[in-house]
Amino acid sequence: MKTQNFGLIYFLMVLGQMVLCNFADISPLMLLTMLPAMVICVPLTVSTPLCMILAFATGLSVDWLSEGLVGINAAALVPVAMIRKPLIRFSLGEDIITRSDSFSIKKNGIGKISFIILVANLIFLGIYVFLDGAGTRPTWFILSRIGISLACNYILALIVTNILTVDDRK
Amino acid sequence: MRKNNLIYHLINAVIFVILEVTALNMLRHNGTIQGIWISRGSQNVMGFLWGGSQRISDYFSLREKNDALAQENFELRMRLEQLESLIPEETRNIGLSGNISRNYRFIPAEISKISNNSQHNYMIIGKGYEDGVTEGSGVITGKGAVGIIDAVSRKHSYARSFKNHEMNISARLGKEGAVGPLSWDGVSSDGAVLKEIPHHVEFEKGDTVFTSGFSSIFPPDIPLGEVGEAKIVNGATYEIKVRLFEDFGALRYVTVVENMGKEEMKELEGRL
Repeated sequence: MKTQNFGLIYFLMVLGQMVLCNFADISPLMLLTMLPAMVICVPLTVSTPLCMILAFATGLSVDWLSEGLVGINAAALVPVAMIRKPLIRFSLGEDIITRSDSFSIKKNGIGKISFIILVANLIFLGIYVFLDGAGTRPTWFILSRIGISLACNYILALIVTNILTVDDRK
Repeated sequence: MRKNNLIYHLINAVIFVILEVTALNMLRHNGTIQGIWISRGSQNVMGFLWGGSQRISDYFSLREKNDALAQENFELRMRLEQLESLIPEETRNIGLSGNISRNYRFIPAEISKISNNSQHNYMIIGKGYEDGVTEGSGVITGKGAVGIIDAVSRKHSYARSFKNHEMNISARLGKEGAVGPLSWDGVSSDGAVLKEIPHHVEFEKGDTVFTSGFSSIFPPDIPLGEVGEAKIVNGATYEIKVRLFEDFGALRYVTVVENMGKEEMKELEGRL
Protein backbone atom coordinates (compact mmCIF):
# COMPACT_ATOMS: atom_id res chain seq x y z
CA MET A 1 0.00 0.00 0.00
CA LYS A 2 1.12 3.55 -0.54
CA THR A 3 1.46 4.06 3.19
CA GLN A 4 3.30 7.36 2.77
CA ASN A 5 0.51 8.94 0.77
CA PHE A 6 -2.31 6.98 2.28
CA GLY A 7 -3.29 9.65 4.83
CA LEU A 8 -3.45 12.40 2.25
CA ILE A 9 -5.34 10.33 -0.32
CA TYR A 10 -7.72 9.11 2.37
CA PHE A 11 -8.41 12.71 3.44
CA LEU A 12 -9.02 13.76 -0.16
CA MET A 13 -11.39 10.86 -0.59
CA VAL A 14 -13.35 11.93 2.49
CA LEU A 15 -13.75 15.34 0.81
CA GLY A 16 -14.75 13.55 -2.39
CA GLN A 17 -17.38 11.60 -0.47
CA MET A 18 -18.81 14.87 0.89
CA VAL A 19 -19.11 16.13 -2.69
CA LEU A 20 -20.78 12.88 -3.73
CA CYS A 21 -23.26 13.15 -0.88
CA ASN A 22 -24.15 16.76 -1.66
CA PHE A 23 -24.25 16.68 -5.43
CA ALA A 24 -24.61 13.11 -6.70
CA ASP A 25 -28.25 12.74 -5.69
CA ILE A 26 -29.29 10.73 -8.74
CA SER A 27 -32.12 8.58 -7.39
CA PRO A 28 -33.59 7.63 -3.99
CA LEU A 29 -32.74 4.06 -4.96
CA MET A 30 -29.07 4.84 -5.50
CA LEU A 31 -26.64 5.63 -2.72
CA LEU A 32 -23.10 6.32 -3.86
CA THR A 33 -20.38 5.81 -1.29
CA MET A 34 -16.65 5.18 -1.24
CA LEU A 35 -16.44 4.84 2.53
CA PRO A 36 -16.50 1.02 2.91
CA ALA A 37 -13.76 0.55 0.31
CA MET A 38 -11.70 3.28 1.98
CA VAL A 39 -11.93 1.58 5.37
CA ILE A 40 -11.06 -1.80 3.86
CA CYS A 41 -7.93 -0.25 2.32
CA VAL A 42 -6.62 1.08 5.66
CA PRO A 43 -3.15 -0.53 6.06
CA LEU A 44 -3.17 -3.80 8.00
CA THR A 45 -0.58 -2.39 10.41
CA VAL A 46 -3.45 -0.35 11.86
CA SER A 47 -5.19 -2.34 14.60
CA THR A 48 -8.92 -3.02 14.56
CA PRO A 49 -9.77 -0.69 17.50
CA LEU A 50 -7.85 2.16 15.86
CA CYS A 51 -9.48 1.40 12.50
CA MET A 52 -12.92 1.50 14.14
CA ILE A 53 -12.14 4.90 15.66
CA LEU A 54 -10.90 6.11 12.26
CA ALA A 55 -14.07 4.79 10.60
CA PHE A 56 -16.22 6.48 13.23
CA ALA A 57 -14.41 9.80 12.74
CA THR A 58 -14.66 9.49 8.95
CA GLY A 59 -18.36 8.68 9.05
CA LEU A 60 -19.05 11.50 11.47
CA SER A 61 -17.13 14.03 9.34
CA VAL A 62 -19.17 13.10 6.27
CA ASP A 63 -22.37 13.22 8.32
CA TRP A 64 -21.64 16.64 9.76
CA LEU A 65 -20.37 18.31 6.65
CA SER A 66 -22.76 16.92 4.09
CA GLU A 67 -25.89 15.10 5.23
CA GLY A 68 -28.63 15.93 7.67
CA LEU A 69 -28.55 12.73 9.69
CA VAL A 70 -25.57 12.92 12.01
CA GLY A 71 -24.40 9.45 13.00
CA ILE A 72 -25.81 7.40 10.13
CA ASN A 73 -22.54 6.99 8.19
CA ALA A 74 -20.61 6.46 11.42
CA ALA A 75 -23.03 3.76 12.58
CA ALA A 76 -22.79 1.96 9.23
CA LEU A 77 -19.01 2.29 8.84
CA VAL A 78 -17.82 1.06 12.26
CA PRO A 79 -19.03 -2.54 11.63
CA VAL A 80 -17.08 -2.53 8.34
CA ALA A 81 -13.93 -1.63 10.29
CA MET A 82 -14.77 -4.32 12.82
CA ILE A 83 -14.94 -7.11 10.23
CA ARG A 84 -12.10 -5.75 8.05
CA LYS A 85 -9.37 -8.12 9.28
CA PRO A 86 -11.56 -11.25 9.60
CA LEU A 87 -12.86 -10.60 6.06
CA ILE A 88 -9.37 -10.17 4.59
CA ARG A 89 -8.18 -13.25 6.53
CA PHE A 90 -11.09 -15.27 5.14
CA SER A 91 -10.52 -14.16 1.56
CA LEU A 92 -6.75 -13.75 1.31
CA GLY A 93 -5.48 -16.09 4.03
CA GLU A 94 -3.87 -15.83 7.47
CA ASP A 95 -0.39 -14.91 6.19
CA ILE A 96 -1.35 -11.45 5.00
CA ILE A 97 -2.70 -10.60 8.49
CA THR A 98 0.27 -12.10 10.33
CA ARG A 99 2.78 -10.21 8.21
CA SER A 100 0.55 -7.10 7.97
CA ASP A 101 1.24 -7.33 4.26
CA SER A 102 -0.28 -5.17 1.56
CA PHE A 103 -2.89 -6.36 -0.90
CA SER A 104 -4.03 -5.12 -4.28
CA ILE A 105 -6.16 -6.15 -7.23
CA LYS A 106 -3.08 -7.02 -9.29
CA LYS A 107 -1.40 -8.98 -6.53
CA ASN A 108 -4.36 -10.94 -5.17
CA GLY A 109 -6.72 -11.07 -8.13
CA ILE A 110 -9.93 -9.21 -8.85
CA GLY A 111 -12.07 -12.12 -7.62
CA LYS A 112 -10.83 -12.11 -4.02
CA ILE A 113 -10.72 -8.33 -3.76
CA SER A 114 -14.20 -8.10 -5.29
CA PHE A 115 -15.50 -10.49 -2.64
CA ILE A 116 -14.04 -8.30 0.13
CA ILE A 117 -15.40 -5.02 -1.20
CA LEU A 118 -18.81 -6.53 -2.00
CA VAL A 119 -19.22 -7.92 1.53
CA ALA A 120 -18.00 -4.64 3.06
CA ASN A 121 -20.40 -2.62 0.89
CA LEU A 122 -23.26 -4.99 1.63
CA ILE A 123 -22.77 -4.55 5.37
CA PHE A 124 -22.48 -0.78 5.06
CA LEU A 125 -25.49 -0.44 2.75
CA GLY A 126 -27.58 -2.86 4.79
CA ILE A 127 -27.12 -0.82 7.96
CA TYR A 128 -27.34 2.57 6.23
CA VAL A 129 -30.54 1.81 4.29
CA PHE A 130 -32.10 0.11 7.33
CA LEU A 131 -31.39 3.12 9.59
CA ASP A 132 -32.37 5.61 6.88
CA GLY A 133 -35.73 3.90 6.34
CA ALA A 134 -36.33 3.61 10.12
CA GLY A 135 -39.09 1.08 9.61
CA THR A 136 -41.08 3.37 7.30
CA ARG A 137 -39.98 1.90 3.95
CA PRO A 138 -41.37 -1.28 2.38
CA THR A 139 -39.08 -4.29 2.06
CA TRP A 140 -39.01 -4.14 -1.74
CA PHE A 141 -37.70 -0.57 -1.57
CA ILE A 142 -35.00 -1.46 0.94
CA LEU A 143 -33.85 -4.49 -1.08
CA SER A 144 -33.94 -2.56 -4.38
CA ARG A 145 -31.96 0.30 -2.87
CA ILE A 146 -29.35 -2.07 -1.46
CA GLY A 147 -29.12 -4.01 -4.75
CA ILE A 148 -28.81 -0.99 -7.06
CA SER A 149 -26.41 0.83 -4.72
CA LEU A 150 -24.28 -2.30 -4.37
CA ALA A 151 -23.94 -2.63 -8.14
CA CYS A 152 -22.93 1.05 -8.57
CA ASN A 153 -20.65 1.11 -5.54
CA TYR A 154 -18.84 -2.02 -6.69
CA ILE A 155 -17.37 -0.12 -9.64
CA LEU A 156 -16.58 2.87 -7.43
CA ALA A 157 -14.99 0.62 -4.80
CA LEU A 158 -12.74 -1.06 -7.39
CA ILE A 159 -11.44 2.37 -8.40
CA VAL A 160 -10.93 3.42 -4.76
CA THR A 161 -9.13 0.16 -3.97
CA ASN A 162 -6.93 0.59 -7.00
CA ILE A 163 -5.95 4.08 -5.88
CA LEU A 164 -5.42 3.31 -2.20
CA THR A 165 -3.52 0.04 -2.64
CA VAL A 166 -0.39 -0.69 -4.65
CA ASP A 167 1.16 -3.83 -6.09
CA ASP A 168 4.50 -3.89 -4.25
CA ARG A 169 5.81 -6.93 -6.14
CA LYS A 170 7.40 -4.80 -8.79
CA MET B 1 -1.45 -16.35 24.09
CA ARG B 2 -5.06 -17.42 24.06
CA LYS B 3 -5.74 -15.15 27.04
CA ASN B 4 -4.19 -12.19 25.23
CA ASN B 5 -6.30 -12.99 22.19
CA LEU B 6 -9.42 -13.05 24.33
CA ILE B 7 -8.56 -9.69 25.90
CA TYR B 8 -7.91 -8.24 22.41
CA HIS B 9 -11.32 -9.44 21.16
CA LEU B 10 -12.93 -8.10 24.30
CA ILE B 11 -11.38 -4.67 23.76
CA ASN B 12 -12.55 -4.75 20.13
CA ALA B 13 -16.06 -5.60 21.21
CA VAL B 14 -16.17 -2.88 23.89
CA ILE B 15 -14.90 -0.19 21.48
CA PHE B 16 -17.34 -1.38 18.82
CA VAL B 17 -20.29 -1.16 21.22
CA ILE B 18 -19.24 2.28 22.50
CA LEU B 19 -18.86 3.70 18.97
CA GLU B 20 -22.11 2.16 17.71
CA VAL B 21 -24.10 3.36 20.71
CA THR B 22 -22.60 6.85 20.31
CA ALA B 23 -23.46 6.93 16.59
CA LEU B 24 -27.00 5.65 17.15
CA ASN B 25 -27.49 8.13 19.97
CA MET B 26 -26.42 10.98 17.65
CA LEU B 27 -28.76 9.65 14.98
CA ARG B 28 -31.60 9.46 17.51
CA HIS B 29 -31.19 13.13 18.37
CA ASN B 30 -30.84 14.31 14.75
CA GLY B 31 -33.52 12.37 12.88
CA THR B 32 -37.13 12.59 14.10
CA ILE B 33 -38.27 9.30 12.58
CA GLN B 34 -34.99 7.63 13.50
CA GLY B 35 -35.33 8.98 17.05
CA ILE B 36 -38.77 7.42 17.53
CA TRP B 37 -37.70 4.21 15.85
CA ILE B 38 -34.47 3.80 17.84
CA SER B 39 -36.22 4.69 21.11
CA ARG B 40 -38.87 2.06 20.41
CA GLY B 41 -36.17 -0.47 19.52
CA SER B 42 -34.14 0.25 22.64
CA GLN B 43 -37.27 -0.07 24.79
CA ASN B 44 -37.94 -3.48 23.25
CA VAL B 45 -34.35 -4.56 23.87
CA MET B 46 -34.50 -3.34 27.49
CA GLY B 47 -37.81 -5.12 27.98
CA PHE B 48 -36.35 -8.33 26.63
CA LEU B 49 -33.20 -8.05 28.76
CA TRP B 50 -35.04 -7.24 31.98
CA GLY B 51 -37.62 -9.92 31.28
CA GLY B 52 -34.83 -12.41 30.56
CA SER B 53 -32.94 -11.57 33.73
CA GLN B 54 -36.16 -11.92 35.72
CA ARG B 55 -36.72 -15.37 34.19
CA ILE B 56 -33.15 -16.39 35.09
CA SER B 57 -33.60 -15.08 38.62
CA ASP B 58 -36.89 -17.01 38.89
CA TYR B 59 -35.15 -20.18 37.75
CA PHE B 60 -32.46 -19.92 40.43
CA SER B 61 -35.03 -19.31 43.15
CA LEU B 62 -36.99 -22.45 42.21
CA ARG B 63 -35.53 -24.42 45.11
CA GLU B 64 -36.84 -21.91 47.66
CA LYS B 65 -40.20 -21.88 45.92
CA ASN B 66 -40.34 -25.69 45.95
CA ASP B 67 -39.59 -25.72 49.68
CA ALA B 68 -42.30 -23.16 50.28
CA LEU B 69 -44.79 -25.13 48.15
CA ALA B 70 -43.95 -28.37 49.99
CA GLN B 71 -44.57 -26.63 53.31
CA GLU B 72 -47.80 -25.12 52.03
CA ASN B 73 -48.89 -28.52 50.72
CA PHE B 74 -48.26 -30.03 54.12
CA GLU B 75 -50.19 -27.29 55.91
CA LEU B 76 -53.11 -27.67 53.51
CA ARG B 77 -53.16 -31.42 54.06
CA MET B 78 -53.22 -30.95 57.82
CA ARG B 79 -55.99 -28.38 57.46
CA LEU B 80 -57.91 -30.83 55.28
CA GLU B 81 -57.56 -33.46 57.97
CA GLN B 82 -58.95 -31.07 60.58
CA LEU B 83 -61.86 -30.02 58.40
CA GLU B 84 -62.62 -33.62 57.45
CA SER B 85 -63.19 -34.48 61.05
CA LEU B 86 -66.03 -31.94 61.08
CA ILE B 87 -67.83 -33.52 58.11
CA PRO B 88 -70.31 -36.37 58.77
CA GLU B 89 -68.96 -39.83 57.84
CA GLU B 90 -71.62 -40.50 55.15
CA THR B 91 -70.80 -37.36 53.15
CA ARG B 92 -67.05 -37.74 53.42
CA ASN B 93 -66.42 -40.23 50.60
CA ILE B 94 -66.61 -37.65 47.83
CA GLY B 95 -63.45 -37.25 45.82
CA LEU B 96 -60.00 -38.61 46.45
CA SER B 97 -58.98 -36.37 49.30
CA GLY B 98 -62.14 -37.24 51.18
CA ASN B 99 -61.10 -40.88 51.35
CA ILE B 100 -57.93 -40.26 53.33
CA SER B 101 -58.66 -41.21 56.88
CA ARG B 102 -58.26 -38.70 59.65
CA ASN B 103 -56.27 -41.36 61.54
CA TYR B 104 -53.13 -40.52 59.62
CA ARG B 105 -50.49 -37.95 60.44
CA PHE B 106 -48.45 -36.40 57.65
CA ILE B 107 -44.91 -35.05 57.82
CA PRO B 108 -43.46 -33.29 54.74
CA ALA B 109 -39.84 -34.21 54.02
CA GLU B 110 -37.11 -33.81 51.47
CA ILE B 111 -35.06 -36.73 50.20
CA SER B 112 -31.38 -36.34 51.12
CA LYS B 113 -30.17 -39.40 49.20
CA ILE B 114 -31.81 -41.97 46.98
CA SER B 115 -30.65 -45.12 45.25
CA ASN B 116 -32.43 -46.19 42.09
CA ASN B 117 -30.11 -48.48 40.23
CA SER B 118 -29.78 -51.55 42.41
CA GLN B 119 -32.17 -54.37 43.25
CA HIS B 120 -32.42 -53.18 46.87
CA ASN B 121 -33.04 -49.47 46.60
CA TYR B 122 -33.43 -47.11 49.51
CA MET B 123 -33.80 -43.45 50.34
CA ILE B 124 -32.55 -41.25 53.17
CA ILE B 125 -35.11 -38.69 54.24
CA GLY B 126 -34.22 -35.41 55.91
CA LYS B 127 -36.60 -35.84 58.87
CA GLY B 128 -35.96 -37.95 61.99
CA TYR B 129 -37.53 -38.77 65.35
CA GLU B 130 -37.12 -35.14 66.39
CA ASP B 131 -39.69 -34.35 63.70
CA GLY B 132 -42.01 -37.15 64.76
CA VAL B 133 -41.02 -39.80 62.21
CA THR B 134 -41.39 -43.38 63.51
CA GLU B 135 -40.27 -46.73 62.15
CA GLY B 136 -42.84 -48.51 60.04
CA SER B 137 -44.36 -45.29 58.69
CA GLY B 138 -45.13 -45.05 54.99
CA VAL B 139 -43.55 -42.67 52.50
CA ILE B 140 -45.94 -41.28 49.90
CA THR B 141 -46.25 -38.62 47.23
CA GLY B 142 -49.24 -37.39 45.27
CA LYS B 143 -48.41 -40.00 42.66
CA GLY B 144 -47.94 -43.09 44.78
CA ALA B 145 -46.52 -44.94 47.75
CA VAL B 146 -42.77 -44.86 47.43
CA GLY B 147 -41.35 -46.55 50.53
CA ILE B 148 -41.49 -47.61 54.16
CA ILE B 149 -39.39 -46.18 57.00
CA ASP B 150 -37.04 -48.85 58.36
CA ALA B 151 -34.79 -46.88 60.69
CA VAL B 152 -34.92 -43.45 62.27
CA SER B 153 -32.15 -41.28 63.68
CA ARG B 154 -32.39 -37.81 65.24
CA LYS B 155 -32.62 -35.89 61.98
CA HIS B 156 -32.79 -38.54 59.26
CA SER B 157 -34.72 -41.64 58.37
CA TYR B 158 -33.81 -44.63 56.26
CA ALA B 159 -36.62 -45.86 54.04
CA ARG B 160 -36.81 -48.97 51.92
CA SER B 161 -37.83 -47.87 48.44
CA PHE B 162 -40.77 -49.41 46.62
CA LYS B 163 -38.17 -50.39 44.03
CA ASN B 164 -37.06 -53.25 46.22
CA HIS B 165 -37.70 -56.95 45.78
CA GLU B 166 -38.65 -57.40 49.42
CA MET B 167 -41.44 -54.86 49.31
CA ASN B 168 -45.13 -55.31 48.54
CA ILE B 169 -47.96 -52.83 48.77
CA SER B 170 -51.54 -53.88 49.12
CA ALA B 171 -53.19 -52.46 46.00
CA ARG B 172 -56.68 -52.36 44.58
CA LEU B 173 -57.83 -52.43 40.97
CA GLY B 174 -59.92 -49.30 40.64
CA LYS B 175 -61.57 -47.91 43.76
CA GLU B 176 -63.78 -50.88 44.41
CA GLY B 177 -62.01 -53.72 42.61
CA ALA B 178 -60.01 -56.73 43.66
CA VAL B 179 -57.03 -56.42 45.98
CA GLY B 180 -53.59 -57.95 45.55
CA PRO B 181 -49.95 -57.34 46.38
CA LEU B 182 -48.15 -54.86 44.13
CA SER B 183 -44.38 -55.15 43.80
CA TRP B 184 -41.66 -53.68 41.65
CA ASP B 185 -40.96 -55.68 38.45
CA GLY B 186 -37.22 -55.39 39.11
CA VAL B 187 -36.49 -54.26 35.57
CA SER B 188 -37.86 -50.85 34.62
CA SER B 189 -37.99 -47.68 36.69
CA ASP B 190 -41.76 -47.32 36.30
CA GLY B 191 -42.83 -50.94 36.10
CA ALA B 192 -44.65 -52.97 38.77
CA VAL B 193 -46.61 -56.20 38.93
CA LEU B 194 -49.97 -56.70 40.59
CA LYS B 195 -50.47 -60.34 41.56
CA GLU B 196 -53.18 -62.63 42.93
CA ILE B 197 -56.06 -60.93 41.15
CA PRO B 198 -58.82 -63.53 40.80
CA HIS B 199 -59.53 -64.89 37.35
CA HIS B 200 -63.15 -63.73 37.26
CA VAL B 201 -62.34 -60.05 37.94
CA GLU B 202 -62.98 -57.76 35.01
CA PHE B 203 -60.64 -54.89 34.27
CA GLU B 204 -59.31 -52.98 31.32
CA LYS B 205 -56.00 -51.65 30.18
CA GLY B 206 -55.57 -48.12 31.53
CA ASP B 207 -57.54 -48.72 34.74
CA THR B 208 -56.00 -47.03 37.76
CA VAL B 209 -54.50 -48.99 40.63
CA PHE B 210 -54.87 -47.49 44.13
CA THR B 211 -53.61 -48.36 47.59
CA SER B 212 -56.18 -50.61 49.20
CA GLY B 213 -55.87 -49.31 52.74
CA PHE B 214 -55.66 -52.93 53.94
CA SER B 215 -52.44 -52.30 55.79
CA SER B 216 -51.42 -50.32 58.80
CA ILE B 217 -48.96 -48.29 56.73
CA PHE B 218 -50.56 -46.53 53.74
CA PRO B 219 -53.88 -44.69 53.59
CA PRO B 220 -56.38 -45.97 51.04
CA ASP B 221 -57.00 -44.57 47.56
CA ILE B 222 -53.58 -43.18 46.74
CA PRO B 223 -53.21 -43.61 42.97
CA LEU B 224 -50.22 -45.83 42.19
CA GLY B 225 -50.27 -46.53 38.47
CA GLU B 226 -52.27 -47.78 35.52
CA VAL B 227 -53.01 -51.28 34.30
CA GLY B 228 -51.02 -52.61 31.34
CA GLU B 229 -50.67 -56.13 29.95
CA ALA B 230 -52.07 -59.04 31.97
CA LYS B 231 -51.52 -62.80 31.95
CA ILE B 232 -53.07 -65.71 33.79
CA VAL B 233 -50.68 -67.63 36.05
CA ASN B 234 -51.30 -71.12 37.43
CA GLY B 235 -54.65 -71.04 35.64
CA ALA B 236 -56.22 -69.21 38.56
CA THR B 237 -55.07 -65.64 38.99
CA TYR B 238 -54.00 -62.70 36.90
CA GLU B 239 -50.56 -61.21 36.99
CA ILE B 240 -50.98 -57.63 35.77
CA LYS B 241 -48.27 -55.25 34.65
CA VAL B 242 -48.70 -51.79 36.15
CA ARG B 243 -47.06 -48.60 34.91
CA LEU B 244 -46.30 -46.50 37.98
CA PHE B 245 -47.25 -42.81 38.03
CA GLU B 246 -44.30 -41.83 40.16
CA ASP B 247 -41.01 -41.05 38.44
CA PHE B 248 -38.45 -42.26 40.96
CA GLY B 249 -35.67 -40.54 39.04
CA ALA B 250 -37.19 -37.11 39.71
CA LEU B 251 -38.30 -37.81 43.26
CA ARG B 252 -37.35 -35.07 45.72
CA TYR B 253 -40.20 -34.19 48.06
CA VAL B 254 -42.18 -36.84 49.91
CA THR B 255 -44.64 -37.07 52.77
CA VAL B 256 -44.11 -39.45 55.67
CA VAL B 257 -47.45 -40.87 56.72
CA GLU B 258 -48.05 -42.46 60.08
CA ASN B 259 -51.14 -44.44 60.96
CA MET B 260 -52.19 -43.17 64.38
CA GLY B 261 -54.12 -46.41 65.07
CA LYS B 262 -51.21 -48.65 64.15
CA GLU B 263 -50.31 -49.64 67.73
CA GLU B 264 -53.92 -50.40 68.55
CA MET B 265 -54.20 -52.64 65.49
CA LYS B 266 -50.98 -54.45 66.43
CA GLU B 267 -52.20 -54.95 69.94
CA LEU B 268 -55.45 -56.38 68.65
CA GLU B 269 -53.57 -58.75 66.32
CA GLY B 270 -51.33 -59.78 69.21
CA ARG B 271 -54.30 -60.89 71.29
CA LEU B 272 -55.20 -63.57 68.75
